[in-house]
Amino acid sequence: MSEHRFTLRLGDKRYPAQLAETPDPPRILYGIGDPSALVEGLGVVGARRATPYGLRCTRLFAGWAAGHGTSIISGAAIGCDREAHLAALDAGGNTLAVLGCGPDVDYPRRSAPLLAELRRCHVVVSECPFGQQPTRWSFVRRNRIIAGLARAVLVVEAGLPSGTFSTADAALDAGRDVLAVPGSVLSPESRGSNRLIRQGAIPITDVGELAQYLGLEGATPAAGDVAADDTLRALVADPMRPDDLARALGIDIVHTARTLGALEAAGHVVRYADGRYGIR
Amino acid sequence: MQATVATTTLTGVEAIAVEVQADVSPGLPVFGIVGLADTAVQEARDRVRAALRSVGFDFPNARVIVNLAPAPLRKHGTGFDLPIALAVLAATGQVPRAALDDVTAVGELGLDGSVREIPGMLAHAISAARSDRDLLGPISAGRIVGVVPQLRYRGIESLARMKGGLPATAPPKTSRAQTLAIPTIDVADIAGHESAKRGLEIAAAGRHNLLLVGPPGSGKSMLARALCGLLPPLTEAESLESALVHSVAGLDPRQCLDGIRPFRAPHHSCSVAGLVGGGTPPRPGEMSLAHNGVLFLDEFPEFGPASLQALRQPIEEGVITLVRAHGAVRYPARVTLTAAMNPCPCGYAGDPQRECRCTDGAVARYSARVGGPLYDRMDLTLRIDRVDPALIIDDAPVTPLSATVRSRITTAHAFAGTRHPCSMRSQLQADARALLEDAARHANLSGRAVTRVVRVARTIADLEQSVPIVVSHVAEALGYRSWDAT
Repeated sequence: MSEHRFTLRLGDKRYPAQLAETPDPPRILYGIGDPSALVEGLGVVGARRATPYGLRCTRLFAGWAAGHGTSIISGAAIGCDREAHLAALDAGGNTLAVLGCGPDVDYPRRSAPLLAELRRCHVVVSECPFGQQPTRWSFVRRNRIIAGLARAVLVVEAGLPSGTFSTADAALDAGRDVLAVPGSVLSPESRGSNRLIRQGAIPITDVGELAQYLGLEGATPAAGDVAADDTLRALVADPMRPDDLARALGIDIVHTARTLGALEAAGHVVRYADGRYGIR
Repeated sequence: MQATVATTTLTGVEAIAVEVQADVSPGLPVFGIVGLADTAVQEARDRVRAALRSVGFDFPNARVIVNLAPAPLRKHGTGFDLPIALAVLAATGQVPRAALDDVTAVGELGLDGSVREIPGMLAHAISAARSDRDLLGPISAGRIVGVVPQLRYRGIESLARMKGGLPATAPPKTSRAQTLAIPTIDVADIAGHESAKRGLEIAAAGRHNLLLVGPPGSGKSMLARALCGLLPPLTEAESLESALVHSVAGLDPRQCLDGIRPFRAPHHSCSVAGLVGGGTPPRPGEMSLAHNGVLFLDEFPEFGPASLQALRQPIEEGVITLVRAHGAVRYPARVTLTAAMNPCPCGYAGDPQRECRCTDGAVARYSARVGGPLYDRMDLTLRIDRVDPALIIDDAPVTPLSATVRSRITTAHAFAGTRHPCSMRSQLQADARALLEDAARHANLSGRAVTRVVRVARTIADLEQSVPIVVSHVAEALGYRSWDAT
């Protein structure tokens, strides 16, 4: 393994300047990878139990920003975090992970392949020394580093209560902007991000708005394809169970099941783990 | 003086022939039984002696040795009482020996000489009918063994009856009830749950194994019971098979004989032997008692890992083979397995009203208790959710009665039997195949998942009496695939 370990002390020349100026910067930053990749970027955080909607938004915004030269900073957790890293990697952009355990520890274990890739080609940092196992509180402390390294934090999907809120709070403490992707009024998984918007977070409703915020050019707002199908139109706003959908549309269950199956096969809708169907 | 009386003993659901030989010779008065007899058979000595005396026969004051042949076969149970008594009576000339030549006798004796029923009377009756012999046994078993075709049954209530020679054969009975009162829930009475009810119809039509996943109190058990009512009544042959298992287990087989499909719902503390059979002597388990019916396992992951994995092979083969030191026993076990489970340890994952507080690891461990190979055997997975109370109160009955659905299922079943048995893949129409390929790509289906989708689509096509599997059949079948399949 040719992994490159490094340690940065507060005051070192290579210690990220944007992090140093936050109220509570870590005294020592442990890392693996390329320390020069610790540039200012966009923090992308969201629920671990993300819905397909959350994952799709993560991929859209993180992928676009990374593809346009903005580094994506996240926590390598499952759900939105991982999707943000992967979208950035797929877009050929820069991305870095901040962990709540030693930078050489694979946690969560499901993210191990992702972390290996990040250590090799990008950078993984932490204020925990090498080999330290995660603790419950280390993640809350970790969130302030994500906020400190970023110029703004984008909350893609958050329910209530949500750990994502601590990152948003840390961002405000560090004087960073909080951006949030709104979700359905009916979806419990979006209640947290909607509340952030009400509390003053900047809503990001399409790529153009993100581009404008980041001061980047060349964004074409995604052409919102109007759903032609009644079923799709019903599911756009709110994922539903087949029974509820059949009742809402006034068609029988067999027909509904067949429509959903055909739409799923065509890749228009997905089945959630709780049996609801939503737009992919 | 010697005499021989034929009897039968149970191994599995078969009764195999055993000869009871009695030898009465002068000497010190002894009464011995040889031929690998267990305790219950050894105790027959006291019952036989008392029974003979109390009805006025003489028990010989001599050396009486009874041999049960073939000697290496282990003999269990109290069914040997009657043939041992008859062999002693024939050997001492108190009953004419010739009268017992074409008779197979089974039954337990009371001290007063009464002849009592033993477990497995149906198995003994079938064996006797097959070897074209008269069966002599307790008169009370007459109403059950009457269904066995070509059986000549001679029932006696007491050993005293043998003083007047063999009793007459009882006329065969048609014991089937004319109207079938199925003691289950009617699907028309279930409010909401529309997609689940459709799933039940498909499962019943194709005899597919079914997994119900949902939070507590969402109606999983109710739906499982309703499934039993959707299955058409047992055919004559099936009812005899199911009744046979019940009879061998010492349970009342009359419901099976009336054509009611067995519904067994063992508690999750059930042992491996309780579930698939076992013990000494071996006894059929819950899975065999549910033969031709529904085996409902509620709280599926709470069953012991050994019990669950023991289900795998019988699900595939429809028969349980218990191999023991002294031989193998086979019990039929063709069941529609219906399992119910919560989506997570707390039960509320995906419930709109209550929040699930389980960690991802806990959910994964809970689901892993069942394990991939068993999930693979569940053709349909239905998500069951709590129905809005308002709907339960004002729901107008939109679903047809169980009887209507049952007739559709019977038609589908008959259709499946007549259609040309060629490979399922060749019945898939081109666009249905394309849809399946798209689905496999988009929903990340495994090879096994694809096979199950096709199998379910085949049943949906059967319900519409369509030989080809068209695109809408596959589309619907996709919705019933397992969540674990990806």
